[in-house]
Amino acid sequence: MLNVENLSISFGTDEGLITPVQGVSFSVEAGKTLGLVGESGSGKSITTKALMRLLPGNARLSPETRITYRAKNGKEIQVEKIKPHSRALRSLRGGEIGMIFQEPMASFSPVYSVGNQMVEAIRLHRGCGKREARELAVEMLQKVGISNAAVRIDQYPHEMSGGMRQRAMIALALSAGPALLIADEPTTALDVTIQAQVLDLMRELQRDLGMAMIFITHDLGVIAQIADEVAVMYLGTIVERGATRDVIRDPKHPYTQGLLKAIPSLETLHDRLSPVPGDIPSPTERPSGCPFHTRCPDAINNICNIKTPVELTPAPGRAVRCWLHDEAQSGRSAA
Amino acid sequence: MLRFTIERLVGMAVTMLLVSMMVFIIMELPPGDYADRYAFRKYSGTGVSVTEADIQAIRVELGLDKPMVLRYFDWIGNIVLRGDFGQAFAFETSVVKVIGDKVWLTLAILFTTLIITYVVSIPIGIYAAVKRGSAADYGLTIFSYLGLALPNFLLALILLYFANRWFGADIGGLFSAEYKDAPWSLAKAWDLIKHLWLPAVVLAWSAVAYQIQTMRATMSDELNRLSVTAARARGVPEGKLLIKYPARLAINPIVSTIGFDVNRIFSELPIVAAVLGLTELGELLLKAYLDLDMYVAGAILLLLTFMIVFMNFLSDILLAWLDPRIKLGA
Repeated sequence: MLNVENLSISFGTDEGLITPVQGVSFSVEAGKTLGLVGESGSGKSITTKALMRLLPGNARLSPETRITYRAKNGKEIQVEKIKPHSRALRSLRGGEIGMIFQEPMASFSPVYSVGNQMVEAIRLHRGCGKREARELAVEMLQKVGISNAAVRIDQYPHEMSGGMRQRAMIALALSAGPALLIADEPTTALDVTIQAQVLDLMRELQRDLGMAMIFITHDLGVIAQIADEVAVMYLGTIVERGATRDVIRDPKHPYTQGLLKAIPSLETLHDRLSPVPGDIPSPTERPSGCPFHTRCPDAINNICNIKTPVELTPAPGRAVRCWLHDEAQSGRSAA
Repeated sequence: MLRFTIERLVGMAVTMLLVSMMVFIIMELPPGDYADRYAFRKYSGTGVSVTEADIQAIRVELGLDKPMVLRYFDWIGNIVLRGDFGQAFAFETSVVKVIGDKVWLTLAILFTTLIITYVVSIPIGIYAAVKRGSAADYGLTIFSYLGLALPNFLLALILLYFANRWFGADIGGLFSAEYKDAPWSLAKAWDLIKHLWLPAVVLAWSAVAYQIQTMRATMSDELNRLSVTAARARGVPEGKLLIKYPARLAINPIVSTIGFDVNRIFSELPIVAAVLGLTELGELLLKAYLDLDMYVAGAILLLLTFMIVFMNFLSDILLAWLDPRIKLGA
């Protein structure tokens, strides 16, 4: 339902042109979940903002970018070509693609009740009257597990607890009836126990409503629970893609391997965690060649630091950008 | 909201009580009183020698011999119960008669100025913030710094010149000659409006410049909030979005300084009024001080402070309406 090809985003800044997202391609199928994983600054959030054309004014999409979205009525939309301020863009935002954010407190306006903001979204996208919209909003709040929804709907965001706010935020995004939900680290700011509840809730809602989801997180553990497919991002490019199960069992890219090793586990309590060494470089000083070579334990001298890796297919349904999987370059077997 | 409003009303009443005491004390502060002044004026140069007993007699006649506390309660009681602000000694009539029309004219100037200030500065500030970094933004910023730098009286002269030259407007005053002493009518009111805009523009000028900058700064902050992006991601149309989400919060510092604006307008009014030949309260206040005509001065001071306190009350109510967290005590 969503197909992204060659998405590149650049920003004109005082320090010159920076390109935090380069040649990203992925697709999301109806009813499925794509997990987008990466450290802070890897370009996950910007990528999804581009899908809804929410980038700031100084951002530019490259001419090769193609974002094709199949709407609920079956029509294909070229997202990168929609005019700003057009009706088409407004119905895409919210009505077709919904978005929830990491900070539920900050994503609600503090001066309107939760119900006010829900009714607004429902009326914009479902074209129904005030009373009907309110009934729908109450129903939605009940659906996300908020008890006493008829009272809660008139509360302000600051009158709710963190977990409840995130539930309300999900209800708000879903009330407009999107076919694709983009969840930008929705559980990061929550307690672990509430995290699990919210993940369960999202999985359940996805099944009930049959919507697709892009789930952004830096936590591969969360991805394992919720995503059908996973795309690992590093410095604005997708370094590895594949079915979640395959990628986690048998990571091909050294970065994915590093991320998996960095997950704390109860079985290896006595070992120290092994973090991925070094920091993610700033987009203004992108390394030449493979962007990961500065931190890669297996980097091949004179190849990885010079040539940008192309996307290889080490196994069916897998894609990886790494010279280690290219026989001609590494002299090793690709498998 | 009702409870909040009542609380603020009580607060306003207490403030007014304290202010009225202060005003009364200020009225008493200058050395001597109207009796001294009266005796001096009446008999100076006539060769008649005035004794302390004569002055005391005048004092008794004017009711100035009673103790201060008693006079305060007489004064404030008459104002609250009968709307009687006492006697204007120098004019030998009541204070109400002396200041009557001038109060309304001053209020007309005040409110016209406030309306011009907010109607102009708020939309322009929003526009500048949305178009931040554009040529229009820089142009407006330069204009507003000019506005801040230009002294009021100079601006008044310049505007007066051009208004007369280009539009044939009358020079000075709040009324045309034919309406000056005419009774109130629709035609006279229209005449007033035609004269009112000039002093109001002069007085609003620097406030507009200042408030554009305030609005632009707070609006720029609010535009970057996640809640604005979130609303945009829900497909809220841009125009409605700007007003409903960022502008409602960005307007806060402007609303909370309405009282300051009123205060500033009152302090700048006398200079502008002098240049434009207006009748307003400031000039009368000065004269009343010089004559030690304490009830006139007191009435004017009390009215001005009441206006400021009232506008502060209004700004509190507006703020609570703009941001419900205020009245919920969060």
